[in-house]
Amino acid sequence: MSNPMEQFEIKPIIPLELGGVDISFTNSALFMVIAVMACTLVFSLCLRKRTLVPNAAQSLVEGMYEFVHNLLRENVGNEGLKYFPFIFTVFSFVAFGNVLGLFPYAFTFTSHLTAVGCLSIIALLFNIGIGMKKKKIGWLRTFLPKGIPLALAPLIVPIEMISFLSKPFSLTVRLVANMTVGHIMLKIIAGFIVGLGVLGAVPLLFDSAIICFEIFISLLQAFIYTVLSCIYLGDAIHEH
Amino acid sequence: MPQLDFSVFPSQFFWLTICFFSLLFIMSKFIIPKAGEMIELRKAKIEGELAAAAELKKQVEEGMARYEQALREAFERADASLRKTKEELADTVSRKQSDLAARLSAEVSEGEKKIEAAKNRAMQKIEEAAADLTVSVLEKVGVSGVSKAVAQRAVDGLKRK
Repeated sequence: MSNPMEQFEIKPIIPLELGGVDISFTNSALFMVIAVMACTLVFSLCLRKRTLVPNAAQSLVEGMYEFVHNLLRENVGNEGLKYFPFIFTVFSFVAFGNVLGLFPYAFTFTSHLTAVGCLSIIALLFNIGIGMKKKKIGWLRTFLPKGIPLALAPLIVPIEMISFLSKPFSLTVRLVANMTVGHIMLKIIAGFIVGLGVLGAVPLLFDSAIICFEIFISLLQAFIYTVLSCIYLGDAIHEH
Repeated sequence: MPQLDFSVFPSQFFWLTICFFSLLFIMSKFIIPKAGEMIELRKAKIEGELAAAAELKKQVEEGMARYEQALREAFERADASLRKTKEELADTVSRKQSDLAARLSAEVSEGEKKIEAAKNRAMQKIEEAAADLTVSVLEKVGVSGVSKAVAQRAVDGLKRK
């Protein structure tokens, strides 16, 4: 039986180096590029023929659009709608990354702490940027909410800082853990299919069911990632 | 676990940033305007049509109100004219009736006067005849010389009894 962790290994395809730092084009990077291209391709194809009464492909994209739109409006409010492209991109990128990873021989870059962590860091920097632009120096109040006595500041500020920084961490870990576990489970059960011969039909059926479940999980996790991003964005915009 | 291998971090960070921002660019420049365009258009059309429908409904209601108003006014006018005609008719009838009654009573009283006169004339003739008769009866029984005037007085005296 092959090692179920093998699928997560990052292998360089084109070795690159920039200023002594290794930025090789890896299989993970390849799938990020594929996700971007697939996303662009699918959306463009769906929107090729646009009509007032939407056809099936068009309503798929429009459904996603309105879904993210409502999500943003409910969690952030109407002033958050100008950040719609960012949130929509996060959702599409994660959703495509998750679903693409389910194809055989595909690599799931969303199962990597480093990749998702980077995305979360981008989102965090984005939130900090918006918060600072909106509240100026008042943004620092994030770490010392109003109505807290100054005497408690030495206690509250570190706690708030940890809570602030743990948000992207929890986002990352949730997505990574879900993707990793799903793929390991698929791989382990798939290993039994060949090993059991005729009886392999049982794990085959089981694996098929899990694949369906994993597709659902992929979209669900993309959704959760997006919702939490929206909520953190809302925190950045509104008063604490 | 390969997931926890942080040696690939620079590479991952580099490529993810590139991919994410190119997707963000593609999304905000091409996909989102395209997807949003139809949604906005549809929303505008639906809202426009709903507004138009509401406008038409208002017009219909106004027309209905005008129609009912006109109907009510027509009924009132018809009622009034009916009432007026009835009153005129009743007036005319009563006037004609009283006219007729007056004429009839005048004719009746004239007739009565004529009857009275005729009666008086007849009475007078009867008295004259009675006086003549008295004179001729007295002549027959042999009393002559009784004048008509005396006989007349006698008849008058009898009549008074």
